[in-house]
Amino acid sequence: MYGKGLLKGLGVTFVRFFNTYWEDLTWMWRRVTTGEKRYHSAEGIAHRSSKNTRGIFTVQYPEEKLPVPEEFRYIPFLVYDEGADGAKEIRCTSCGICSKVCPPQCIWIVRGTDPSTGRPKPQPAEFYIDADICMNCGFCAEYCPFDAIKMDHDYELASYTRTLLPMEKLMKPASYYAEIRPLNAAREDEARKAKEAAKAAKAEAAAA
Amino acid sequence: MDNNELNLPGYEIPDDMKNTVAITSLDRLYNWGRRSSVWPLMFGLACCAIEMIAAQASRYDLARFGMEVMRPTPRQADLMIVSGTVTKKMVPAIVRLYNQMPEPKYVMAMGACASSGGPFKEGYNVVAGIDKFLPVDIYVPGCPPTPQALMNGLIMLQKKIDKESISKVRWYRKGADTVEVPVPILGPDLIDVRRIPDIKSKVAELSNPPAQREA
Repeated sequence: MYGKGLLKGLGVTFVRFFNTYWEDLTWMWRRVTTGEKRYHSAEGIAHRSSKNTRGIFTVQYPEEKLPVPEEFRYIPFLVYDEGADGAKEIRCTSCGICSKVCPPQCIWIVRGTDPSTGRPKPQPAEFYIDADICMNCGFCAEYCPFDAIKMDHDYELASYTRTLLPMEKLMKPASYYAEIRPLNAAREDEARKAKEAAKAAKAEAAAA
Repeated sequence: MDNNELNLPGYEIPDDMKNTVAITSLDRLYNWGRRSSVWPLMFGLACCAIEMIAAQASRYDLARFGMEVMRPTPRQADLMIVSGTVTKKMVPAIVRLYNQMPEPKYVMAMGACASSGGPFKEGYNVVAGIDKFLPVDIYVPGCPPTPQALMNGLIMLQKKIDKESISKVRWYRKGADTVEVPVPILGPDLIDVRRIPDIKSKVAELSNPPAQREA
């Protein structure tokens, strides 16, 4: 009443304003003692995102980026294994399960053919994802039986025209996948190795 | 843009004059002013609007780019962020808003629905992409794009504005006004006014097939 609420509100704003500079000063001291920075650094973002933050907490986007969680998903990409002498062994077999489950139908695949025999081979000749239709649901990665298509973390895809991603742009190495999703990649690798071991044991038993 | 970039006229300045003269083009000044005060139109269509609001709020703070003033009236806005699903019922209103915006005006298709229709691209009630009606300057994929992805799009738009020239942009050209987009009519289905001649000729062709005419 009588404008007290107004003053109270202004007080809150003033305290935040003051806190911003007070925090900057305390972090200046921290920078001298421990080398930690309040801005443009991982520990700074972690502090400003925590409940202990005081004052300004803006993420200054182009210079610093909020780290995304492991399960964050954006446009899918194709995983390839790096073979000997830098050969790209793509995991995709062009089975077409991803394009069938895709709710907005944004994936299309052209199956590859063997040039010598003219028969189809389990490898895509062309692979397109219309990034402007993709709804980032992750069904393709969920359903893929070969761990060949995975959801990316890269969200900086704005463009001046419609974005149709061809295979060259979609292909990323397995090491990149292990980098952005370490837990998932480790789990899948383990499962694949167990499966291969079981298969080898079965073949051995059949041979004996 | 720092001062060095502002003073790149494309002319050779003699070394002894470098600190005394500043040659710049009007374009640079214009673009600098324009890109530093892109005011978006305040309207949202669907879930992308929530991310747009998040980008506007204090964690991401578009005020750092001079975009803090979301104008509720198209007369004061420079940028139209089409944030969300564009239904056929909404398109006439969006096109009218676009026509009411003063030049220079930019359109950003934010998210899958506005860019291409997204999951609803074959729906009976959804326009498969706002680019069917409006000239889109920038497409931001994502469903929805995170605030950082949206800001990446806005930075790309600023880069586009930097490259513009007053003598070449479409709204300062002489002749017919190419900017006005005819407002589509919503009847039982959506009618794009620009396609009426095509539709009429097709109807005439179908009602009077050449084979019958000969017989």
